[in-house]
Amino acid sequence: MNEINSDFAADAYQAAGEQSSKQKLDIFLAELGRLKRIVAGLGLSAQDGEDVLQDVSIQALKQSGKYQSREDSVRWLIKVTVNRCLMEHRRRRSFRRRACEILKRRSESKTNSNRTDEKVIDAEELEIVRESLQELDDSMLWPMVLRYFCDLNSKEVGEILGLNPSTVRSRLREARMILAKRLLERGVEP
Amino acid sequence: MEKSCEDIKEMLVDYSDGRLSTIASNKIAEHLRKCEHCRRILEALQRSLELAGVIWADGLAETKEIRIPIPVKARKVRWSRYAAIAAGILLVLTTSIVWRALVRPAEKEMNFAEIERRIIESGNAARLLAAAELLDEYSEDEAVVKEQYRYIVDTYPQTSEAVKAKLKIQ
Repeated sequence: MNEINSDFAADAYQAAGEQSSKQKLDIFLAELGRLKRIVAGLGLSAQDGEDVLQDVSIQALKQSGKYQSREDSVRWLIKVTVNRCLMEHRRRRSFRRRACEILKRRSESKTNSNRTDEKVIDAEELEIVRESLQELDDSMLWPMVLRYFCDLNSKEVGEILGLNPSTVRSRLREARMILAKRLLERGVEP
Repeated sequence: MEKSCEDIKEMLVDYSDGRLSTIASNKIAEHLRKCEHCRRILEALQRSLELAGVIWADGLAETKEIRIPIPVKARKVRWSRYAAIAAGILLVLTTSIVWRALVRPAEKEMNFAEIERRIIESGNAARLLAAAELLDEYSEDEAVVKEQYRYIVDTYPQTSEAVKAKLKIQ
């Protein structure tokens, strides 16, 4: 909510008119941070992410009172966002950011916030993991993002992706081992 | 030892995520103290996840700039456009109905009356012209004949008989 211009939010509320639309917008705006994490974790560019979230907001407004509780609405929002991201992702996987760009941006933000307690990140290691994520099969990448970046548990991930929690856990294990092995294979000492 | 390492590897991810029971965790920890190979795998698991988090967080920094223009206003504009189109159609229909109901029937009535009037005038003028011509042929009084022709010209000016009468006068 803090990330959204307050004038804009007020404008949207006013335009939304009916109470149910206002509630939907409330939930959407409150969960926007989490939805952005999903978009970012699945490797969509800012432009693609904007398109995806715009679509989700439209769907949220159109959605009639099918979901009663707030939890149901949040689950629905996450599911729609993930599905929409996956559609976009199938068209183009876009982990375009190179390790050097990531490190540059990271060092700039570190200078601003004076964070010195973090481990130094090696560009070579970062590039290996970046490439590995890009090559990872979608069936393993999506559970990884939802579990480790969006802080959902295996059951929630399973509900969103239509998988058993045990399947989610086995895919997570597989994906994690692939990333770890790539690091070890390339001779980089963790 | 090999088999034990394979079993441990299966559980290392859950161990790294802190999802194992205390007993299982202790067993893994004991194995890790002795086995450098499994220790390196565990470190690689933790390191790769940490780096994946950095990559995802960088993507998140990019998405921070995203502003979601929720399209409620656009919907309003669309409604007003529909309303304008509907109003336009309604206006055209109303105009057309009013035109048909008022203007056209009145025009038809007038045309019919006019035609009827002209037929009657034409008939009258023709009879009078025929009488005036007979008078012209058999009467000596030229002034009376001219007066007859003038009457036709004045009374039925729109008829062809009036034109003929005018020529006779000349």
